[in-house]
Amino acid sequence: MLLSFLLRHKYGIASRIAVVVLPAALSLTAGSSVAAVTVQVLDAAGAPVPNAVVYAEPSGGQTVPKSLKQAEVEQRDIHFSPLVTVVEVGTPISFPNHDKVRHHVYSFSPPKVFELKLYSGVPTSPIVFDKIGTVVLGCNIHDQMVAYVQVVNTPYFGKTDMNGKVRLDGLVNGKYALKTWYFKMSPNEPALEQTFTYQGSDQSVSVKLNVKAAPVE
Amino acid sequence: MRWHRLENRIVALFIILILLVQLAGFFVIRQAIDENARASIRDELVIGERVFLRLLEQNAEKLTQGARLLASDYGFRQAIGTDDRDTIASVLANHGARIGSTLSMLIGTDKSIKASTQTYPSADLQRNSLELVAKAADGNGASDTVIVDDRLFQIVAVPIKAPVTIGWVVMGFPIDQQLVADMRALSSLQVSVLVSNRSGRWQQDVSTLPHSESDMLIQKLPLSLAHSSLVPQLTLGDNDYSARVLVLAKGSTSQTALAVLQRSISEAVAPYRRLQLILLSISVIGVIMAIFASAFVARRITSPLRSLAETARRLGTGDYRATIDVKVRGGDEIGRLAEAFESMRSGIANRELEIRRLAYWDPLTDLPNRVQFADMLKEAIGQARSSDGQCHILMMDLDRFQHVNDVLGHSFGDKLLRQVGRRLEQQLDRAGAKVARLGGDEYAILLPDSDQFDAMRQAKRIQMALEQPISIDDQTVDLGAGIGIAGYPEHGQTSDTLLSTAEVAMYVAKRRGSSIVIYDPSIDKSSQESLSLLSELRRALDRNEFLLYAQPKVDMASGRVVGAEALVRWIHPEKGFIGPDSFIPFAETTGFVSMLTNWMLGQAGALCAELEQKGIKLKFSVNLSTRDLLDQELPARVAEILACNQLSPASMCLEITESAIMDDPVRAQLTLERLHHMGVELAIDDFGTGYSSLAYLKRLPVDELKIDKSFVLNMEHDADDAKIVKSTIDLGHNMGLRVVAEGLETLPVWHLLRQMGCDQAQGYYLSKPMPGDKLIAWLEQWKPPVQPEDMVL
Repeated sequence: MLLSFLLRHKYGIASRIAVVVLPAALSLTAGSSVAAVTVQVLDAAGAPVPNAVVYAEPSGGQTVPKSLKQAEVEQRDIHFSPLVTVVEVGTPISFPNHDKVRHHVYSFSPPKVFELKLYSGVPTSPIVFDKIGTVVLGCNIHDQMVAYVQVVNTPYFGKTDMNGKVRLDGLVNGKYALKTWYFKMSPNEPALEQTFTYQGSDQSVSVKLNVKAAPVE
Repeated sequence: MRWHRLENRIVALFIILILLVQLAGFFVIRQAIDENARASIRDELVIGERVFLRLLEQNAEKLTQGARLLASDYGFRQAIGTDDRDTIASVLANHGARIGSTLSMLIGTDKSIKASTQTYPSADLQRNSLELVAKAADGNGASDTVIVDDRLFQIVAVPIKAPVTIGWVVMGFPIDQQLVADMRALSSLQVSVLVSNRSGRWQQDVSTLPHSESDMLIQKLPLSLAHSSLVPQLTLGDNDYSARVLVLAKGSTSQTALAVLQRSISEAVAPYRRLQLILLSISVIGVIMAIFASAFVARRITSPLRSLAETARRLGTGDYRATIDVKVRGGDEIGRLAEAFESMRSGIANRELEIRRLAYWDPLTDLPNRVQFADMLKEAIGQARSSDGQCHILMMDLDRFQHVNDVLGHSFGDKLLRQVGRRLEQQLDRAGAKVARLGGDEYAILLPDSDQFDAMRQAKRIQMALEQPISIDDQTVDLGAGIGIAGYPEHGQTSDTLLSTAEVAMYVAKRRGSSIVIYDPSIDKSSQESLSLLSELRRALDRNEFLLYAQPKVDMASGRVVGAEALVRWIHPEKGFIGPDSFIPFAETTGFVSMLTNWMLGQAGALCAELEQKGIKLKFSVNLSTRDLLDQELPARVAEILACNQLSPASMCLEITESAIMDDPVRAQLTLERLHHMGVELAIDDFGTGYSSLAYLKRLPVDELKIDKSFVLNMEHDADDAKIVKSTIDLGHNMGLRVVAEGLETLPVWHLLRQMGCDQAQGYYLSKPMPGDKLIAWLEQWKPPVQPEDMVL
């Protein structure tokens, strides 16, 4: 019901999302040395949404550094951990298996199609995620196992905490497209996008999603 | 079958009862079977519906399993993930064939058909598939029964997960003959699937019915069937069904798909029909057995009854010999009835024997009685007639039996009669001769096949035997008998005539005094005259043809008329004057004399009273006969006449002859004494002519002696007569009696009598008898023949 509602109104709602940029001074603490953007993600009911991916893509032509940190999606207790991973494009991700059973990790998502056929321990080489987009990970022998990797084209990204908040640090000044993606969004639904301009001072951004927050296990 | 026969009615009753019970049972069972059958049909249909739905469900599950297997196939998912359309299509075809689906489709998350085994899936299929996917979106798959191109399909949709949903596999197959055949095998129901076409008409999809019936089913179903329903009675051709109609699917364009489950009623009730047949045969056997059993029982009851009825019929006809041969079984009612019947039979037989004895035998002497004698006589006549022979009868009457009976008592008389009977039997000199007592002291003897000579010889022998005195109880009695003989064919042709002729002969014999008389027609003639005389006498009394005459009696001392003797004269309308000598003796033998005496008494009484009214006092004398003396009623009649005419008893004198007294002295004395006590005077008439016993005379309460006229008429010339008259007068006077002389016809006799001291006289010299009404006139002119003073000589 909700889904069908969303399906029918997905574009209309997006245009109606209110973007409120609060003055950074109000939210900055006196002790912080570097200014940052704090994003609060709420669901349709106003509840905080944890594990939502928030990233800011420069849209004003400014150059930003690359942040190619190694990432890891481990398998433990026949679950992927973490559930949601966000990496900058080109980042290699390793899939260490901590379970006694073997796993067959695969992805049919267009940004990165791969499979790690039945293995245990740590696979020899990590997988490089070289296209932006959402990659859904599964295990061919454990249907219930699922994990999401959001591949973004910016070093400024983060996942909301239990309160639905995330801090984006070290932004260069300029205009940005702030994008929010949540794994409960429809498979073909693009990340929620809103623009803001960073000017070196702390800023707070609130994002309202049109989905219901899933509880964290 | 005769309904009035008890046996048949019992059998019929039994059969009707059994038939009623069986019929009632039959109908109740039939009803129960019917209800049971319908209930079981209903149950079968309900169960059949569940089975059918379950079958559909299982089919759908099987399909879902297949689809799910496909959806989880890694290669398939990889092909979808990489959007490898050709591979996808080949996997769909391969897998669909493997699980027996006729169509397989891949539907993307964007609700578009990505691949299909049908090149151009129909609009129905597309729409139904998308609807199913929508239904299954948040679940783990869905199935449905849908109408696709006027056929019924089962379709399933399952999501393809990698691991999130990346598309849907939709698979389907039509509901085919195999399914309904399976259903038929499982449930013995006929199954038809019908789909309405776009114009609303039903059309056949699949069916287990033969074509002819399935076509009829299409005709019979109502056009719009919105809900599942029960059709209790559905007739297709020759077969009756109960049916359950299930709505399986409704299409978008008001198309409806139905499953019709049918249970053949005749098949369902077939086992019950067998049961009914068994019951029917049990009933038939029961009825037959009941017929035999009740016939047996009824026969046990009715056959003794029939034999009793037969015996009763024979009893009715007088046959008492048949003993009742009904076996007495344990003393049941029939047995007791038979016993009672038997005792009734023997009782009736004994009583009839007794009655017969009484009817045909004389109880006193144990001799045949008159009836039996007549029968025997008839038989003897019959024999004589057939052999041209003769037969004779003797009839006898004891002399003086009445006298013996009266003097020595009835029980003596009875003994005497028995003795006589025995003696007669001893004297029979012919075989076949029979003695009978006809009544009183009358006996008869039958001599079959005998001639007159035989009869005469027998009669003489009997007469001699009877002359022997008989001794009974120290008394010896002399008996005699008059015997009459009559014979067939000479004296009569029938037993009645023979008996009467013998009787006539016997009377003649008696009159002659203990002789034997063979009947002669001349006797009969006189007896016939006597008969006519008797009837004339009777008529004379009725027509008042008798006249009272009176002859005066004169007192010889005074010359006065002191009395009159009443006499009777008969003025016959044709024959004129008839003197008393012509009819009095006859009247005496026939008993008519009693009526005549009565008449005389009445007339004399009336005349006496008439004279008394005129101051003339005369004593009237009336003659009595033997029979009058034996008549116990006489004194009462005399008293009545006296009272009627207000006369004193002394104004009447009754005259009796010696012989009348001597016939039965005891009874005569009894009568005379009663009359005497009444005060009526009595006279002995015709004294001197009988064999008078002076001892009797002494005892008799008489007042007067009348010397018979035979002595008086000639006493003038006959010294002996004069002496007799004189002696008689003296005798009378010595006994204190008044003496009257009859037949005084001359004056010298008058004088003689006067001299002899005779008290009164009557005779022609004084007056002839004259009519009573002339008496007064005569009295007025009466002068005594001699003046009293002249008498003194």
